[in-house]
Amino acid sequence: MRKSLKIYLPFTLNELKRQMAYKGAFYLFILISMFGAFINYYLWMAIYSSSDKTTLGGMTQNEMIVYVFMVYVTSSVVSISIANFVSDDVVKGTVAMNLIRPIDYRLSLISRAAGNMIYHFLVPSVFIWIGVEIYKVKVFGLPAVSVWNILLYLSSCVMSFLIYVLFDFCFGMIAFFTTYIFGLMMIKNALLGFLTGQLIPISFFPEVLQRAFDFLPFSSMVYTPVMIYLGKYSGKMLGFMLIRQAVWVILLYVLGSLIWKKVTKRLVVLGG
Amino acid sequence: MIKVDHISKDFISPKKYPGLKGAVKGLFSSEKTVKTAVDDISFTIQKGEIVGYIGSNGAGKSTTIKMMTGILTPTRGECTVAGIDPNKRRKENAQNIGVVFGQRTQLWWDLPLSESFTILKEIYNVSDDDYAERMEFLNRVLELQEFFDRPVRTLSLGQRMRADLGAALLHNPKVLYLDEPTIGLDLVVKDNIREAIKEINEKYQTTVILTTHDIGDIEELCSRIIIIDEGKKIYDGSLTELKDIYGTKREVSMEIKQPEKVKELHFARLFGVEEEDCRSEFDKENSVLCVTFDKHKIQAPQVLSAVMDVAEVTDVQIQETELAEIVREIYHHGVIER
Repeated sequence: MRKSLKIYLPFTLNELKRQMAYKGAFYLFILISMFGAFINYYLWMAIYSSSDKTTLGGMTQNEMIVYVFMVYVTSSVVSISIANFVSDDVVKGTVAMNLIRPIDYRLSLISRAAGNMIYHFLVPSVFIWIGVEIYKVKVFGLPAVSVWNILLYLSSCVMSFLIYVLFDFCFGMIAFFTTYIFGLMMIKNALLGFLTGQLIPISFFPEVLQRAFDFLPFSSMVYTPVMIYLGKYSGKMLGFMLIRQAVWVILLYVLGSLIWKKVTKRLVVLGG
Repeated sequence: MIKVDHISKDFISPKKYPGLKGAVKGLFSSEKTVKTAVDDISFTIQKGEIVGYIGSNGAGKSTTIKMMTGILTPTRGECTVAGIDPNKRRKENAQNIGVVFGQRTQLWWDLPLSESFTILKEIYNVSDDDYAERMEFLNRVLELQEFFDRPVRTLSLGQRMRADLGAALLHNPKVLYLDEPTIGLDLVVKDNIREAIKEINEKYQTTVILTTHDIGDIEELCSRIIIIDEGKKIYDGSLTELKDIYGTKREVSMEIKQPEKVKELHFARLFGVEEEDCRSEFDKENSVLCVTFDKHKIQAPQVLSAVMDVAEVTDVQIQETELAEIVREIYHHGVIER
């Protein structure tokens, strides 16, 4: 365990350093995704102000505002696209350079993603999070989040991260068959926007769809940690949600291993 | 050290049709074409050997290397490297090998070179003492220190290649695969790289397999060469032997004072050999007589004395067929018959 930490930690640290090497691109990215969060915010403000009810989908307007920004915080930390790394490696043929090393390809990708995750957490998620918390207490007069909930939220986030990257690894494997997956990645991102609860809380969907979502890993990616943060789950429900996340981590891990075994058998390295 | 046993690799790709109509047809057709990139190749390489692996573009060199490194799985046959099947135990095998693909880099593109080396140190589990010793050696033969703190993307091709070679050697691999390590480099850097490879081979008894299009690399480094063409092995043996078999032509150029006197000389008839074993050509402008002959049938002094009998010779040059010539010949005509 310690040995593998020593091997894979440099991948994480290097990704952190790499991110800092291209600062401009990243700040631009923050700006763009902040835009998304604010568009969402104004959209929901409009929806609430034109509605007669004070709660929609089980959430008050103030809760919804916290939800919108916490979704932004969570998804920017959790959704690190490994498929991007994979497709890059396939198109440029650099996957060969990764296979000549005595390391596990998937673990090295996840370690790189972890570097991204840490960076996204520090810049700017954690500050937005603090901002949301202060705003919530000062302006809305809602009670501050408890330390216990923060801990639960963070551990749920770690599992969300694992679910996301393990799923994305399986998805990225398509690149080995089709070479180019940019289009598919656009479709994936659009679908995930709905399925993870990033655009609309899952409680807004019809009952039937919600039941169907229960059998998919996507709601565990963003929706679950945010709902835990908002304190919407308690007792048995909370335990169930966390266990469900853990189960998804294991299932996707096994699935990824199986796919990888198949892929290495028919691997083609492009370009010389 | 390396044993390759009847290894083959087929690439299957969907059949493509020409033109727009063909492109549409290609969407619905499920016909596949099979291309055999490597076809039933076997060889054994001993520890400490430097083997040149040559063949024209697309002959299957890189594919073979990729199978030996565990990147590609052979369709048929198997190979073992230092007692390990690289396709079944890729990670263990990776610990034993170093690879340089001339057209790619294994270094971290955006980071200073020093960072890449520290990561590789951890990945290959190199101890601090070994690392210090190895770095000292690599600095000496490859002169890495002058750009050690610069980001890899800012390095020149020659620097990058030296850095890549250093990175492949950091964990002191038993086998070093070099896939066109001198591609696109200038003469000085080429020389440096060749020197470095030689030194490493001598110092650590590293087995080296080298693919290249540069004949100089082969002449400088390899005692043994394997030639493949269209996926098939067509030659496996020492360099001198190859030259002996195919470099049978020898050429003598003589500068003659009295050109009119040598015109009547007919060498083939003179020595009693076939016309094609001895040809002569006369360059009027420079007054040079050029005789090409089979060195197994006629000796150079015989030719010389025959000419000197009739005319005065002011200058003589004897040339053996160059390796480049031989290789060109083989690429053209394919299979070698012994």
